[in-house]
Amino acid sequence: MSSLEKRQEYRALFKQNVQKRLIVDKIVRIIIISCVIAAIIPLGSILVEVFKNGIAAISIEFLTEIPGSVGSGTGGVGPAIQGTLIVVGLASLIGVPIGVMSGIFLSEYGDNRLARSVRFFNDVFMEFPSIVLGIFAFLVIVLVLGHFSVWAGAFALSLIMFPIVARTTEESLKMVPITYREAGTALGLRKWVVTMRIVIAAAKEGMVTGVMLAVARIGGETAPLIMTILGSSLFFANMNTPMDALPLRIWRLSMLPYESAQLQGWGAALVLIFIILGINLGVRTLVLHKKETMQILKTLKEKVGGKN
Amino acid sequence: MTSKTQTTSDLFENDSEKFKMIAEDVTISYGDIPAVKNVNMKFKEKSVTALIGPSGCGKTTFLRCLNRMHDMTKNAKVEGKVMIDGIDLYSKEIDPIYHRRKVGMVFQKPNPFPTMSIFDNVTAGLRLNGVKDKRILNEIVEDTLKMAYLWDEVKSDLKKPAVELSGGQQQRLCIARALAIQPEVLLMDEPASALDPIATQKIEETITELKKEFTIIIVTHNMQQAVRVSDYTGFMYLGDLIEFRHTKKLFTDPKNDLTAKYVQGQFG
Amino acid sequence: MTRLIDPSLEKLSAIMNEMGNTAIDCISLAIDSYFEGKNTTDEVHDLSDSISTKYFEVEDLIFDMLLKYQPVADDFRLIRSSTEISYAFSRFGRYAYDITQVRELFGDISECDNESLIVISNKVKHMIREAVHSFAELDIRKATHIQDDEAYIDKIYEERLPQLIKSDNTKCALAEALVLRYLERIGDHAVFMSDAINYIVTGKHKPSQKRIDAHTNY
Repeated sequence: MSSLEKRQEYRALFKQNVQKRLIVDKIVRIIIISCVIAAIIPLGSILVEVFKNGIAAISIEFLTEIPGSVGSGTGGVGPAIQGTLIVVGLASLIGVPIGVMSGIFLSEYGDNRLARSVRFFNDVFMEFPSIVLGIFAFLVIVLVLGHFSVWAGAFALSLIMFPIVARTTEESLKMVPITYREAGTALGLRKWVVTMRIVIAAAKEGMVTGVMLAVARIGGETAPLIMTILGSSLFFANMNTPMDALPLRIWRLSMLPYESAQLQGWGAALVLIFIILGINLGVRTLVLHKKETMQILKTLKEKVGGKN
Repeated sequence: MTSKTQTTSDLFENDSEKFKMIAEDVTISYGDIPAVKNVNMKFKEKSVTALIGPSGCGKTTFLRCLNRMHDMTKNAKVEGKVMIDGIDLYSKEIDPIYHRRKVGMVFQKPNPFPTMSIFDNVTAGLRLNGVKDKRILNEIVEDTLKMAYLWDEVKSDLKKPAVELSGGQQQRLCIARALAIQPEVLLMDEPASALDPIATQKIEETITELKKEFTIIIVTHNMQQAVRVSDYTGFMYLGDLIEFRHTKKLFTDPKNDLTAKYVQGQFG
Repeated sequence: MTRLIDPSLEKLSAIMNEMGNTAIDCISLAIDSYFEGKNTTDEVHDLSDSISTKYFEVEDLIFDMLLKYQPVADDFRLIRSSTEISYAFSRFGRYAYDITQVRELFGDISECDNESLIVISNKVKHMIREAVHSFAELDIRKATHIQDDEAYIDKIYEERLPQLIKSDNTKCALAEALVLRYLERIGDHAVFMSDAINYIVTGKHKPSQKRIDAHTNY
């Protein structure tokens, strides 16, 4: 009998607490949402600002011509766009495979001391200021070869890139449950087959995100480029000469006192944002949604073929 | 009833029938701790053997040593012999990959490869080993899915992603996948424990069909399942094999006190 | 630790023991009143009825346990044998009633020579007591003795029947033949019961001295 009374007592207690908690819940929810808004507003306003200020500068001329004379307001950022694409592309060609391989090593074969040291150095490397890496590339390539070059720029950027790729690859692979590896092993598949064909396939999304993050990061790096490709006003000639790139061009333009130069700077910034966005979307679609892309391409081909 | 443990040699002494697999003096330790101690078992061709016992008794550890899965675990040490058709799996000359293809395995939680379709899952063990002949792949897919009682349910859309199947269907898919590499022995680690009763029933029907062709060893927590499905049952406790007999005998008239206690739920 | 099945098993044992004791009383009453000339038909009938009711109760309980608990090993053998044993009890009650019916039908049989009947009925009373005790204690030492007793009853039965054919007193002969028959059947069921008890303890259906020795730790 007495326990029944006690239960009523306990129940009465809970009712009170619940009401208090609902209020606290609401308050916390509001705080969280305001934090999110506070975080998005600067991001949104940056995009809006750049768009607002830069859209006026965009034109075919802007996108394809070499810079005009200083302060004239003519010309464009053609070489800079070309340079960014080349240097980022080259850096990825070097950095992504190395990073992915390291990530695979750390994740799949990494239960030993060597792996632990590699992981440690990788993390330290990720935190290096990019200007230091730029100086390193300067010393190792520019001074040795005797001139600024695209090689040096790609090298410097790949140094920034591969720790990020290695880390994100490792984390993505680790997220794949061990049971898939077991299933693959039980089928009599060798370890590298299991890793390449099963584990990586399952970790694809995470890995692509990691690579895209790295690409976005190096797409905007300026300091290392100053020391390696230097910048120029001409289109790409060969790998052994200085080259322009959008971050460099933006920097140069923004330092000039002329309004037209400022406008061009905003335009270049807008172009850079679009390029990074474009690469991101493009790679994602190709790698992650291969099936749908193939379908769309097929229907397009049929339509075009039909028209003709 | 006795407290003496029993080995399969007692049971099979006068038997001249063929044994597909023989485990001799198998001891498995993780570091210094022995998980399976000196276990001897013989598995008859085309039969189902169930391994029962409380959690932590070593039955799953033992099962996994039968296809050398412990090679994947860092500080696992396996001593003794595991022989298939007279050849010791653990001898230095044997490539574990080769014999793992003789012994297939189905795991507790269904684990179809998430990025592959039904067809690709079943043929994974073949394609990733270089088998490209489309005709053979198609034949094997149909054959194994039929054996796993899944063919009728999926034949209309084999390209569907495997993860879209229900739990029971996924598990049958995993059975088909294991069968596709043409093993001779099938190991099953609590294959129905994550499934609902109807899916469980289908798995049990599958096992009963499969035993006409394969030698099956199944670890199970469900004693009624062991009674329904197996010909022989081994009871393990704290790493030792306590009793190993014809299933009906073990469950109606166990010889060892511990066995009787366990099967009647008097543990703990 | 109490398992889910334990209360049901206890209930089963309780009912079966009641049935056993009632069966002993029932048979003894029927046999004694047959020789004493007393009319106890109603009493015996009530006793037999109570055994019968309990028989159905036991059957229900057994199938309930099979449905719910899917018992194995000792539990399984106990439950399986209980069907045979409770049936034997119900038969004891029935035959006891049949014996009182003979008395009622045939009237006064004091002039008949009941010597062999008395010998057999004492044997039967002894057998039933042994069987019921054997079940209560799950003691199989007496199993072979029960088999011998049953063989003895069969022998007397086979000797006596031809003699009855040559008898002059039809009433006595018929009465004796009927009662002999019932007593012989009671003996059979007592042996079935003993075999069933043996199954519970040893796992084998037929008792042998070797197995009995192996399973007795007294």
